[in-house]
Amino acid sequence: MPSQQHSLVRRLATRIRLNATRMVAIQGFGYLGQALSSAEIFATLFGGAVLRPGRDRFVLSPGHYVIALYAVAAEVGLLDPAELATYGRDGTQLEAIGSERTPLVDLVCGSLGQGLSAAVGFALAAHLGSEDRDTFAFLSDGEMEEGQVWEAAMFAAHQRRRMGRLVAIIDANDSQVDGPVSSVTTLEPLADKWRAFGWQALEIDGHDVEALARALRRRSEGASEGAPLALIARTSCRGRLHCLPTTLDAHFFKLDEPLRAALEQELTRELESADA
Amino acid sequence: MREAPYETVLKPYGEALTALARTRREIVCVGADLTRQTETDLFRDAIPERFFNAGMAEANMIGIAAGLARAGHVVFVNTFGVFCTRRCFDQIAMALAYPRLNVRLVGFMPGLSSPGGPSHQAIEDVALMRALPNMMVLEPADAIEIRQAVTALADHAGPVYMRLKRGESPLIFDESHRLQLDRAQHLTGHGSSDVCLVAAGMMLPAALAAARTLEREGLAVAVINSPVIKPLDGDTILAAARGTRVIITAENHSIIGGLGSAVAEVLAAAGVGAPLRRVGIADVFAESGSREYLFSRYGLDTLAIVRTAWEALARAGPVPRVISAPAAPGSYAPV
Repeated sequence: MPSQQHSLVRRLATRIRLNATRMVAIQGFGYLGQALSSAEIFATLFGGAVLRPGRDRFVLSPGHYVIALYAVAAEVGLLDPAELATYGRDGTQLEAIGSERTPLVDLVCGSLGQGLSAAVGFALAAHLGSEDRDTFAFLSDGEMEEGQVWEAAMFAAHQRRRMGRLVAIIDANDSQVDGPVSSVTTLEPLADKWRAFGWQALEIDGHDVEALARALRRRSEGASEGAPLALIARTSCRGRLHCLPTTLDAHFFKLDEPLRAALEQELTRELESADA
Repeated sequence: MREAPYETVLKPYGEALTALARTRREIVCVGADLTRQTETDLFRDAIPERFFNAGMAEANMIGIAAGLARAGHVVFVNTFGVFCTRRCFDQIAMALAYPRLNVRLVGFMPGLSSPGGPSHQAIEDVALMRALPNMMVLEPADAIEIRQAVTALADHAGPVYMRLKRGESPLIFDESHRLQLDRAQHLTGHGSSDVCLVAAGMMLPAALAAARTLEREGLAVAVINSPVIKPLDGDTILAAARGTRVIITAENHSIIGGLGSAVAEVLAAAGVGAPLRRVGIADVFAESGSREYLFSRYGLDTLAIVRTAWEALARAGPVPRVISAPAAPGSYAPV
């Protein structure tokens, strides 16, 4: 991918963060941390020629991340940007936690730990029908506390000759309701766990769009033989933004006016320098 | 209808499903170990490419079924009723029922038909599944109904839970019997009655035997078979209830949340005031034991239905002795 495209994906990630900040500002609280940590992942998937809408399957397992999906969809022509203003409001299509009403995805779950199983089902169906489809499952690290994720991991590896086109992208932002995932339970060594379960595992900086593109394009370049891929994207809910305090409650973000203004300013500057 | 003791057949579900899947390529079969026990060894051996064994991982199995169904398959999911409904209720609710997917959950060993004790006895599976929006709940009574249910389910839109007796399946009905997914069947005792029995699944033979016993005592008995527990055919049940003195439901399930509760809801909403008695598991966990022992100990036998009717009608004299038809090896008779 040329460096110009990386710049565009980087810019898209900033737009995702800005859209998400404005959406959370509607009510003053919401799942902003998820959008900040996953912005480059969604930007690469939807703006980096990775996911082919209408063909490849996309499963969003932690429904709290749906804010990032709305934010990117409005940028790439999949959603009317005006709809973002309805985020989380009564009667909206853009519910704060994804549901069956959520547009744009093959599946979004709200109850955690369930998405990978369904992605495996999608991948089985694609294999049964000899269809040209990749299946991308977006997971978060926190939901790996649920045993079902590992049931699915075990099953997928057992079915490896059918699972070569399955990719689990894990946003490892070390955040759950009670605080850092690492303070609640020990998931590490995460990559070794996936490998031990029979997957290929890659660990990258989840804010590095070049690394994300390299890892995800690997699939479309014929690396789809063999075991499914777990891509562990190390990220931060602060999304590398300077204006956010390190003590932030990242799972459910309270966005007061000074913080909103600071975010808006920092992200706008980022956009300006990207456009310069 | 045939007479007790009933002839039995083996694997009517597995045979029907395999035969149907040969002509319907969208049908896939998913299980969690227990392949022979759920009669799906027939499917596995005949159509291995559409058979997936998730192993002992029911939550994952439900998710896989969801993915397959979203991609256009009709998915039959097979395990024991307890593991299917208790272990992964949230998964069934969110991954299958909410999106209204074409997944058929088939739970074997209903109620006290398992000798395995409370861990293996699905006594509240109907209550759990009935509470889920979009979910249909079925309990066929014999092999004829099972075969027809499989065919009907291939074309039904939305999720279904079907509980099935494991092992020998009786032949109660004639081949001319027709199972419909929106109908209960008023089998015997048309016109006004003293007692109206409403039964499903393994309790139908007991209800039919109880009816014979009560009829011998000069009582008029109506018997309704209600293989579709949700949505319940309220019209058929209300029509019979309006012409009777007492209604008795009979289910191999807790009296809370199953067929008895469903009938109670229909009667109460319609303002039909006939007394209702529910024969079933009386809100207790049972124990290990043979079907004969457990059905008798926990009040699921023919005598329990007869006694309930006798007492509800305030009949004088001792509870009549049940007319029993001893079962030869390979045949089936109610306890």
